[in-house]
Amino acid sequence: MANYFNTLPLREQLDQLGVAEFMDSSEFNEGVEALKGKKIVIVGCGAQGLNQGLNLRDSGLDVSYALRKEAIEQKRDSWKNATDNNFKVGTYEELIPSADLVINLTPDKQHTSVINAVMPLMKQGASLSYSHGFNIVEEGMQIRPDITVIMVAPKCPGSEVRAEYLRGFGVPTLIAVHPENDPQGKGWAEAKAYCAGTGGDRAGVLKSSFVAEVKSDLMGEQTILCGLLQTGSILSFDKMVEKGIDAGYASKLVQYGVEVITEALKHGGVSGMMDRLSNPAKIKAFELSEELKDIMRPLFQKHQDDIMSGEFSKTMMADWANGDANLLKWRAETGETAFEKTPAADVKISEQEYFDNYLLMVAFVRAGVELAFETMVEAGIKPESAYYESLHETPLIANTIARKKLFEMNRVISDTAEYGCYLFDQACKPLLKDFMKKIDTDVVGKNFNDGKDGSVDNIKLVQVNEILRNHEVEIVGKKLRKAMTAMKAIQTV
Amino acid sequence: MAAKVQINNLAISYGSNSILSDLSWTIEPNENYVLAGKSGSGKTTLAKAIAGLITGNGEVNVEFNAESKPLPEVIYVSNWYQFTNLEGDRNFYYQQRYNRHQGNDTLTVKAELLHFANKEKLDLKDIQQKIVAMGFGHTMDSQLIELSSGEHKKLQLLKSLWLKPQLLIIDEPYTGLDKQSRIELNIWLDELVNEGVQLIIISNDSQLPTAINRFAHVVDGKLEKVDSFDEIHQDENRKQKELPSFLQKLPETNFNSIADLKDIIIRYGDKVVLNKVSWKVDVGEKWLLQGPNGSGKSTLLSLINGDHPQSYGLDIELFGKKRGSGESIWDIKQKIGMISPEMHWYFDQNATVWHTLASGFYDSIGWFIDVKFQEKKQIEELMDFFDLTEHKDQLLHTLPLGKQRLAMLARSIIKNPPLLVLDEPCQGLDAQQARYFNDVVDELCQHGKTLIYVGHYESQLPSCIEKRIVLEKGEVVALENKVENVL
Repeated sequence: MANYFNTLPLREQLDQLGVAEFMDSSEFNEGVEALKGKKIVIVGCGAQGLNQGLNLRDSGLDVSYALRKEAIEQKRDSWKNATDNNFKVGTYEELIPSADLVINLTPDKQHTSVINAVMPLMKQGASLSYSHGFNIVEEGMQIRPDITVIMVAPKCPGSEVRAEYLRGFGVPTLIAVHPENDPQGKGWAEAKAYCAGTGGDRAGVLKSSFVAEVKSDLMGEQTILCGLLQTGSILSFDKMVEKGIDAGYASKLVQYGVEVITEALKHGGVSGMMDRLSNPAKIKAFELSEELKDIMRPLFQKHQDDIMSGEFSKTMMADWANGDANLLKWRAETGETAFEKTPAADVKISEQEYFDNYLLMVAFVRAGVELAFETMVEAGIKPESAYYESLHETPLIANTIARKKLFEMNRVISDTAEYGCYLFDQACKPLLKDFMKKIDTDVVGKNFNDGKDGSVDNIKLVQVNEILRNHEVEIVGKKLRKAMTAMKAIQTV
Repeated sequence: MAAKVQINNLAISYGSNSILSDLSWTIEPNENYVLAGKSGSGKTTLAKAIAGLITGNGEVNVEFNAESKPLPEVIYVSNWYQFTNLEGDRNFYYQQRYNRHQGNDTLTVKAELLHFANKEKLDLKDIQQKIVAMGFGHTMDSQLIELSSGEHKKLQLLKSLWLKPQLLIIDEPYTGLDKQSRIELNIWLDELVNEGVQLIIISNDSQLPTAINRFAHVVDGKLEKVDSFDEIHQDENRKQKELPSFLQKLPETNFNSIADLKDIIIRYGDKVVLNKVSWKVDVGEKWLLQGPNGSGKSTLLSLINGDHPQSYGLDIELFGKKRGSGESIWDIKQKIGMISPEMHWYFDQNATVWHTLASGFYDSIGWFIDVKFQEKKQIEELMDFFDLTEHKDQLLHTLPLGKQRLAMLARSIIKNPPLLVLDEPCQGLDAQQARYFNDVVDELCQHGKTLIYVGHYESQLPSCIEKRIVLEKGEVVALENKVENVL
């Protein structure tokens, strides 16, 4: 199979990359009508599969689960998840032929084999849905021309998709229709109905394309979301220990700090996060992040280039074929870092202390969010898509680090994200060697404000604030966050 | 002999709002107080000040008895319980008990108690008997997320009483406890007093431990001692107001039966929570649902309220429609005004009183859509009816618990639904407030409503109730037509 994106002429590539339209809530007035009474069969019953299915059923739709025969016979977790909740469960052969909509929610790696097994069983004119475009765009999977291919991608972990729905809201969602597979023109109606059924329409929906989703999703997860958080966390921890800060304290500051800091990001964007610092600390964080942006920009660009050219997916698929040799090796290495192995001390760190004593992470986050956003937009991705895949998702990933450090983060994210994360981390650490030499405990481990009188130069402060607030990620972010008024505040401390 | 407390000229205010002013109080070692009085009078603030959890101006001095065996400490037991999952998270939603495939990471009760014993250097054997007496024995292997609100309250009390401090202050200890547990709790408290523990109980309940020998209430920011429980100032009888006109309209009903459940079995793994429960509720009926803590009441209600994922595939008819025949849970909730302790516990911390009421139109936990003109009018009328108008922009969770309950109740009736499901609605209300609330329920029910009411206090029920269903260990043990005996 050939990389789909690379088969397209340039104008078509740009066209598909540039799809991003924030949809008006009136577009969802029909609710789930387009899928009412239709047979929906979900393939895969992991976190996304189960929780999306629960929501769709609670929205009045007819949902059942198709699992592989072995999963049913051996009563695996996926089988238990579905049957414990009184869903109808059957084999592909039993359920797929009568399905009007087949929703593929298996891990990326299995897509090719799942689609090859499912497609011949699907009835004429049925629809197939993905929540990630990798299989179509990067692997170039060709779907039978009579089948409609759509995508509904909630931008949150499965458990959140369920929790927000039951609170009466939803999570921000991307939807798309594959232009090669919309023979009856029903793609958008079904994608919208599916999205409404998961509650996504109540939190802001972005009309996207398979291409835009893949190229931005890969970029975000490799750089700011997972890669940079991993690099920044490990470097910060090692620096503190090197400079004599108690290892238990350092471990706690790093594990929970990123969650507390990005909670501010979630509500008020980059400037909201920076505003949590004192004026002198803000100027310091600004200067550090400017420096970080200069150092890391070429690496961010390389990741984007490799994603666009298909080089990244080619390398990763080679590793799949090699039994995930590299992935497993890097995963094991991450589990062995000093940060991972040092338990957080039982000390109380107040919410504000996480900002004051961990200014370096604030600088990392600002640099990473803005760089990822800028690099995506330069590559032809629309600001709205870039926002979701950078700033919006950062707090979600930070939550996983707060739970059980980097190992947990890498367990929760997809293997694709994990693989890209390690690639970034390995290249980024040597790049920051000289930068880190200059770093001392005033910006990581101790309160930056200690011994300072808090005064700053007026003009300097005005300039810094202006630069922060006028960045495009702030402008588009303000608009998109408005649609998420019901955003839940996370209890971080 | 236990501690001696000396408070001189204590003043505490929140912002410009003065709660306690110039308050003085001496508690001698042999005195066990009940501290009662109106909601919002400052009882909780005073208790927290004694425990050193908040500070104000003035002097609070606790002198411990060096010879006494109990710990030289003040323990304050809040009227609000909290627990976290294994990752330290507290971000739960009220239906999570029923969606626990994703929440299977809270500790079990036993692990939680062992963890606590380890931390506080206690021995689990010492309270083994109390665990059984409080009817808590069968929950030892349950996960925290599976517990009902009453069971959470028990767990909180078990842990605090186990610590045996010289001064134990309990804020509303009886909230949500079933009848037998309330009796057992009082027995235990009396035993503790004999062992040298001193009590301050904040409650408006008249069934108190016999060791209670002093009575006081907070009036205008100052402490007043009285001679007996009966002299304590309760909230004055509220001025009867007329029910807003939109609530006097008959709700639309194009069905005869509200809920028809047949042979319902709910299980988690091997654990059966409801066993062959059948129950039919017809339009206009007023039901009382009773049973000990953990008997399955909330689970049964979750089937009617559309909150339980196992509802599908069971023989359930709601509002004349077979469950799982294309209705959404929002269609179901639209017809139900619901309040439950869990819903309140996990309610949006950012919601103001106004948002809380408005969210009742959409059955969301917190408000998010622009409200229409007519709806705004209804919110205003209802806030006025419940005397909430002055609090409308305050965050719900910063109000006294009694006021919070009233706001939740207002939320539940804002859309004038045909069915009211009131799961322990009077938890945290004092006797007067509960009476007032139940009067409102009676009045609402004159206008064609169907009622399902859960309440442990026989004295605190609406008088319109005419039928009763009793659960025990997940089974129906009584289904009665007239329930004069319980009222």
